[in-house]
Amino acid sequence: MKNIGHQHLLSKMIAEINQIFSQIGFEFAEGPERELVKYNFDMLNVPADHPSRDMQDTFYLADAPELVMRTHTSAVQVRYMLDNKPPIRMICPGKVFRNEATDATHEAQFFQLEGLMIDKDISLGHMKGVLEYFSSKFFGGEVQVRFRPSFFPFVEPGVEVDMMIAKNEHNKLSGRWIEIMGAGMTHPNVLRNAGIDPTVYQGFAFGAGIDRLAVLKYGIDDIRLMYNGDLRFVNQF
Amino acid sequence: MKISHNWLQTFFDQQIPNPAELEDLLTFHSSEIEEVVKVGNDTVIDVKVLPDKSAWLMSHRGMAKEISVITGIPMAHDIFKTKPVLSPVLDKININLKTANCDYYASALINGITVGPSPAWLVERITALGQRSINNVVDATNYIMFELGQPLHAFDADKLATENNQYKIGVRNANEDEEIITLTGENFKLSSADMVVVDAVTDSPIAIAGIKGGQRATVDLNTKNILLESAHFERKTIRHTAKNIKLRTDASVRFENGISVGLAPLSLPVVLELIIKIAGGELIGYGKAGLAEVKRDNVAVTTAKINSVLGLNLTNEIVLSILKKFDYSYKLEGDNFTVTPPWERDDLFLAEDLIEEVGRIYGMEHVASIKPKLEKVSKVNVRQYYAEKIRRTLIDLGFSEVFTSSFRSKDKVKIKNALASDKGYLRSRLHDNIIEAITKNIPHRDLLGLTTIKIFEIGTVFDEESESFQLALGVRTGTTYKAKVDDELLKTAQHEIENTLGLNITWFNTDEGVSEFSLDDILSKLPMPLQYDEVVKTATINYQPFSIYPSISRDIAFWVSSDTESAKVVSLLSETAGNLCVRVTLFDTFMKEDKTSLAFRLVFQSKERTLDGSEVDSLMTKVYDAVAKAGWEGR
Repeated sequence: MKNIGHQHLLSKMIAEINQIFSQIGFEFAEGPERELVKYNFDMLNVPADHPSRDMQDTFYLADAPELVMRTHTSAVQVRYMLDNKPPIRMICPGKVFRNEATDATHEAQFFQLEGLMIDKDISLGHMKGVLEYFSSKFFGGEVQVRFRPSFFPFVEPGVEVDMMIAKNEHNKLSGRWIEIMGAGMTHPNVLRNAGIDPTVYQGFAFGAGIDRLAVLKYGIDDIRLMYNGDLRFVNQF
Repeated sequence: MKISHNWLQTFFDQQIPNPAELEDLLTFHSSEIEEVVKVGNDTVIDVKVLPDKSAWLMSHRGMAKEISVITGIPMAHDIFKTKPVLSPVLDKININLKTANCDYYASALINGITVGPSPAWLVERITALGQRSINNVVDATNYIMFELGQPLHAFDADKLATENNQYKIGVRNANEDEEIITLTGENFKLSSADMVVVDAVTDSPIAIAGIKGGQRATVDLNTKNILLESAHFERKTIRHTAKNIKLRTDASVRFENGISVGLAPLSLPVVLELIIKIAGGELIGYGKAGLAEVKRDNVAVTTAKINSVLGLNLTNEIVLSILKKFDYSYKLEGDNFTVTPPWERDDLFLAEDLIEEVGRIYGMEHVASIKPKLEKVSKVNVRQYYAEKIRRTLIDLGFSEVFTSSFRSKDKVKIKNALASDKGYLRSRLHDNIIEAITKNIPHRDLLGLTTIKIFEIGTVFDEESESFQLALGVRTGTTYKAKVDDELLKTAQHEIENTLGLNITWFNTDEGVSEFSLDDILSKLPMPLQYDEVVKTATINYQPFSIYPSISRDIAFWVSSDTESAKVVSLLSETAGNLCVRVTLFDTFMKEDKTSLAFRLVFQSKERTLDGSEVDSLMTKVYDAVAKAGWEGR
């Protein structure tokens, strides 16, 4: 008898996310997991001595003060913009690290999805359209997106993004607002740091926890299951 | 930060929205709300104030202003408008700033106070926020901090030395290893990067500047005369010290978030008026040093730019009406606004900062979505493309994919601030994680319906200089590694991957049925793909929590007529075995003349407890009976 193996939920989701974004022209980008402080913080408008740096608990490396385990996939933004000129449409799914005690809803390592779109006339309206397109394809059904004011140092204005899947009795996520990610208009300092003229170009960035998307979509009750190699979990999918 | 609804109301004559409505308004126009809790006849709203708003929103006055802007209800009582001033200036207090990191320091002398319990209304306010009431003087300083955002401190004047009938207060950098005991009794050793407030007559520290008062001049029940401090300390120094000595206080948080220096002179008359009201005494006078003036640079933005960023169609009039609610001073020429930020706001420098203010007050819900253009991406990510190809190959061979930790207990690259001692290093290879995952899964083979554990991981590994994207795969058939069986399976998989990619791979760390290679090393040798392969969308599956209790397996084999469908047999077996039977696997079939032999493994497991062998045996008796009844002959 032939036993077929199982693809891990995370890589499966990443492939699916990439397929959705590839259809609207977003390129899959990547960057190192052990990152320069320069890309993870400084060039993203997160100054060394500012409370905004405390928003993420960071792993530092012994004897290398210029390096961190990247705390977010946003680190790839600047790298990508230095190598690619606008118009830019980019996603970057990847592993990130936070120095936080682990429990059923927190892991010290998890996956994030970064997105970036830069051109001459990109607004929050484009961001809303892109995120509605993505959420509809990813969660299924007609999805509405709304914004709430928030703060991330590398965007201005910054927002929290909620989605609502049109009411559908087969989908227990439907018919209510659910927070799915943080986002905003790329801060002019970030564009400038990456060699893009903010008086000419503007655009948006978003960052979502892929683990959180998995929890929502598949009803997972403990995200640590995704990282312990247990086939009783893996082989369910 | 906790905000009392009753307290907020004191800034207004008109009724403000009820807590539930406020929660909604703040959520969509200002800040995230963590929690809304009823406390007595008050409601406390816990607001998550993010760093961009922390300089001016971490107070009831700041929040009242925000509510006034959002709702349009005017503030009836605003100390920022009435601007009380102090007199007389006095030669009884000499203040000497010996560090550039304190730009303003004021101290007022009140004589003849009576320290005692706070009045009921004050206790109610303070305790509603979850604070402890200490005494009327300390409570008053805390109250004004929560009201206006300015940290304040009272010293017992009689515990300070005087010189020529004059108090001498100094602010200076701490000496290396200078020690101070705080008013709650903890001892801290400071360095020259820290700042202290000193009794300058004896040069002895009486407070860790901007963070916590010292024990030496603590206000207690015998205190008669006090020196009240209202000062401004530079944010970076406070942040550095609070972090270094691991002491974050309500005061330090406000300073490190950059409250305006303009708050200090404003808050002193307010707090001393309150103290005289509730503790008696008389203001003798005050002294000050430094400057509390704030100069704000103009910020310019056009209505066109606002609309282009927010995706809205606002008119000059709408923008104007929002700026007016903030009380910003502004000039309008054409559609070009020039705004002078108010002294308390340290977060308005760029056009984008103003755009955010306009957007959030107008309401982000008005942003209309613009559909993205369908247009296939032109550049394919090689790593993702080939990783997916390899995954499909391995999955067809029965391998399942795992993701494991990037941390190891010992390896090449050390983490400076590890979470735990067994997570102190970055993995330099996947090999060890694969072995561990195999070992973990071996006991569950029957439960998984597998005879062999076959797994792989694709992930990043690290050495001192670089990181590499690698793949490792591992197989194990028995409870321990058996070269003869496992190596064969491993080799087949290695060949299949090489066939898929069309090249030879350099495998390494090949040991105990596990082998590894670097994708990064081969990607450049592979043809550039033109487009991604279609992802097969699987039906949405809901994860099922699995039992933590061990399982028990039993085998049964019997003859059936060759036209018997095995699916029917499986359903009879699992129905008979009952709910505790979680899996029935057909593991052997052979034919002899017109009969077929079927061998099944039944796996039993409970979600609530460890099963007893005899319990499973009695279930199996039922299964044997059912098999016999069906006319199937046991083997």
